[in-house]
Amino acid sequence: MQRRLVDAFSWIAILGIVALVASPILVLAWSLVDPSGEVWVELWRTRLPGMISSTFILLVAVVGGSIVLGTSLAWLVSAFQFPGRRLMGWLLVVPLAIPGYVGGFVWLDTLSGVVGARGVRSLWLCAVVLVLSLYPYVYLFARAAFADQGADTLAAARSLGMGPWGVFFRIALPAAQPAIAAGAALVAMETLTDIGTVRLFNVSTLADGVMRVWFGSGNLGAATELASALTGAAILLIAFERLLHRKGRRARGTSEKVMTPRSLSPLAASGVLASVAAVLIVAVGIPLVRLVDWSVESVQAGKAVTVAGGVWHHVGNTLLLVVAATVVAIVVGTLLALLVAHKGGVARIAGRVSTVGYAMPGPVVAVGVVVMLAALDRRGILSSGFYLVGSTIGLVYALLVRFLAVGYQGVEASLERISPSAIESAHVLGAGSLRTALSVEIPAARFGILAATALLAVDISKELPITLLLRPFGVDTLSVWVWQSTSESLWAQAAVPALFMVFIGMVAVGLLLAALERGAELVS
Amino acid sequence: MRKSTQHFKLFGAVTAVVVTLTGLAACGGSSDASSEGDQSEGLVTVYTGRHYGIEPVFEKFTAETGIEVRFTTGSDPELRARLEAEGANTPADLLMTSDAANISLAATANLLSPVESDVLAESIPEELRAQDSSWFALSRRLRVIMTSSQRVPNAPQTYAELGDPQWKDKLCLRPSTHPYTQSLVAGLINNVGADEARKIVDSWVANNPLYINSDTDILKAVVAGDCDVALANSYYLGRLLTEDAAFPVALTWPDQSTSGAHLNISAAAVTANAPNRENAVVLLEWLASQGQKLFSDANNEFPADSRVEPAEVLAGFGSFKADTKSVRDLGGLNAQAVELLSAARYE
Repeated sequence: MQRRLVDAFSWIAILGIVALVASPILVLAWSLVDPSGEVWVELWRTRLPGMISSTFILLVAVVGGSIVLGTSLAWLVSAFQFPGRRLMGWLLVVPLAIPGYVGGFVWLDTLSGVVGARGVRSLWLCAVVLVLSLYPYVYLFARAAFADQGADTLAAARSLGMGPWGVFFRIALPAAQPAIAAGAALVAMETLTDIGTVRLFNVSTLADGVMRVWFGSGNLGAATELASALTGAAILLIAFERLLHRKGRRARGTSEKVMTPRSLSPLAASGVLASVAAVLIVAVGIPLVRLVDWSVESVQAGKAVTVAGGVWHHVGNTLLLVVAATVVAIVVGTLLALLVAHKGGVARIAGRVSTVGYAMPGPVVAVGVVVMLAALDRRGILSSGFYLVGSTIGLVYALLVRFLAVGYQGVEASLERISPSAIESAHVLGAGSLRTALSVEIPAARFGILAATALLAVDISKELPITLLLRPFGVDTLSVWVWQSTSESLWAQAAVPALFMVFIGMVAVGLLLAALERGAELVS
Repeated sequence: MRKSTQHFKLFGAVTAVVVTLTGLAACGGSSDASSEGDQSEGLVTVYTGRHYGIEPVFEKFTAETGIEVRFTTGSDPELRARLEAEGANTPADLLMTSDAANISLAATANLLSPVESDVLAESIPEELRAQDSSWFALSRRLRVIMTSSQRVPNAPQTYAELGDPQWKDKLCLRPSTHPYTQSLVAGLINNVGADEARKIVDSWVANNPLYINSDTDILKAVVAGDCDVALANSYYLGRLLTEDAAFPVALTWPDQSTSGAHLNISAAAVTANAPNRENAVVLLEWLASQGQKLFSDANNEFPADSRVEPAEVLAGFGSFKADTKSVRDLGGLNAQAVELLSAARYE
């Protein structure tokens, strides 16, 4: 009897979370019942076919490129000892912390110096730029996965005479697949919903189309339909990818030991060093140098600190928001991932639906949340005078809708890699779900949880459309400051807040990597 | 049995954490809300899509009237969507946009409320306010022909001439995603009709323009030699000229012998559900009178009230004829303009 009751509660919790985060999108879809046939016919005659093909090419190129670049970097940094390994391993995440609407322009400006203003506006260069800014998603998850790969397994493989390539392709890579896939899924969704970078490079994707239809024709109905199609595509893509990988998935033991980097011959070490350094110089060095350059320029011109409220007001608000929203998103994400892992089957589909907010262009999510919260406000369910729209709680909720996917995906991938026998033996020994979660699952998934937390902090600190539309009066964040400059093409002035964001993001990532390294030290 | 109770605890624990966090967030929120509820005498709340240099203007207003200005910035369509969703609960008293189409779309959605005021009637010309007085222009912005002063001795004189084959691969335009492009084409449709407007846009597209989504960057592209002729708003040149008086771009007022240069506006309106309507009217009147010069100069725009002296840098652009009669129609023609641009395969 009680067992069934508990089952029911699990389901209620899963569906509750999913409803909480998916409802703004559903509200938007339902508030526009009449299908906008004419707009679709018009779109199909003009832009839609081109949008679909460029979205597809961009997606394949960016996801493929990010997987190759992110995974190989993660392996080099995790598996081998070379001078400057820790510092470089940390700096490789910098591109993620640079907001896309600034990083995109840095690259546009830099590359147009090489290939000219016309040549730079191409699909392929746009793909290269997106790979250079998004690969850290794969890199971070892969590093976390390599880190909690049983050191014993790898040592055993080596002692059996398996070479470094064999260890990588036959042992490490298959075991890290769920994590790499989770990172790739985030890259895919970022690519599908990117508006800033693709617009700078004049690449007309479906997300750009959503904004065109909405802001151009004022047709929110058709825009939502298009956005829903986009989301559907993203979710299908991820589900398909998951299906492929489930077969090849390999469970690992609950070994507490963590992989440690191997020492190399001086020649091999310098080879590894050179390849990592090359990526670092291009992907991190160029944008950072330009941002610092612009910052100095705008500080010298006395224009950097003219922002209303001052620098620390923006930094402080950003920090508060990042902490609040990250904690909420990682707690809810972990809870959902645990529940889904316990229930399996249909629950996985429900879990997938919860990522819908990440597969929509940001402005659509922002307006969806406003429409829903405003509807609640009109019913006056809260004390009089308190409105969710424009409140801190409304803003944190909107960020949860947007970023739950980041928390959920990372944790889910880590949980998948726990061997079912470990959980079963815990149950046999009499441990209940809570104890299993606390003593087996959460510790085993700790690096995945940490990686997701760091990513959330980075993502939330640079988020723009939601923060811009839903922030309380007087709460200006760094991303709002960046927007005030970039929307007026004052790129140099945007560099100062962008560097602050990089700093905040890199502290979060530094904490994560320190945890990974400490895990490694415990066994060495 | 045991397993079940443990399962309950898992929820208990995590639910408690979530509830606590939400509670904390709510506490943070309620401090903002307390000021929101009281309709304080000296407060006016503004949603503004135009944000460049706006703070000093509001500060001056507060210093002169004692009314505090609380504002949030954002993009025009998103702020309009928020205003619409909030309905009667909106804290917004005044809506400000950076373009005529966006303010008239707000009027069409019944989000604005007419203001009968002698001050406004006197200072804002009739063509630059809504027929029903639901919105008012505060400043004028002109979309004009920009050419390299080093490479182009004979600048084109009309929008249509930008389609001349001599500018093939030498033309810079802003993409059709931007309201400035949409309003320009809406103005063309209003002046020469849809068929002729389509021909003009087709001739631009035939010149293989370089599309750049920033007027400042368009002007810099002209200097860099990526194009010789371009369209941009006048104040961007004003801004670059204040930084560098020798900036090598020349301005040509288009269509001077016909309808005049395309005119767009920065506009403001009192919202339909303004909690502090009186203060909103005071601010609107102030922006149209004492504040006119400060507001316009902040962005090198021409004041809506032609009796007010424009910023010094603008004097160098000479006198011109502007297409005042299209302003009210830009909103209504917006959808048609977007469709035309799309059909012409304008990027």
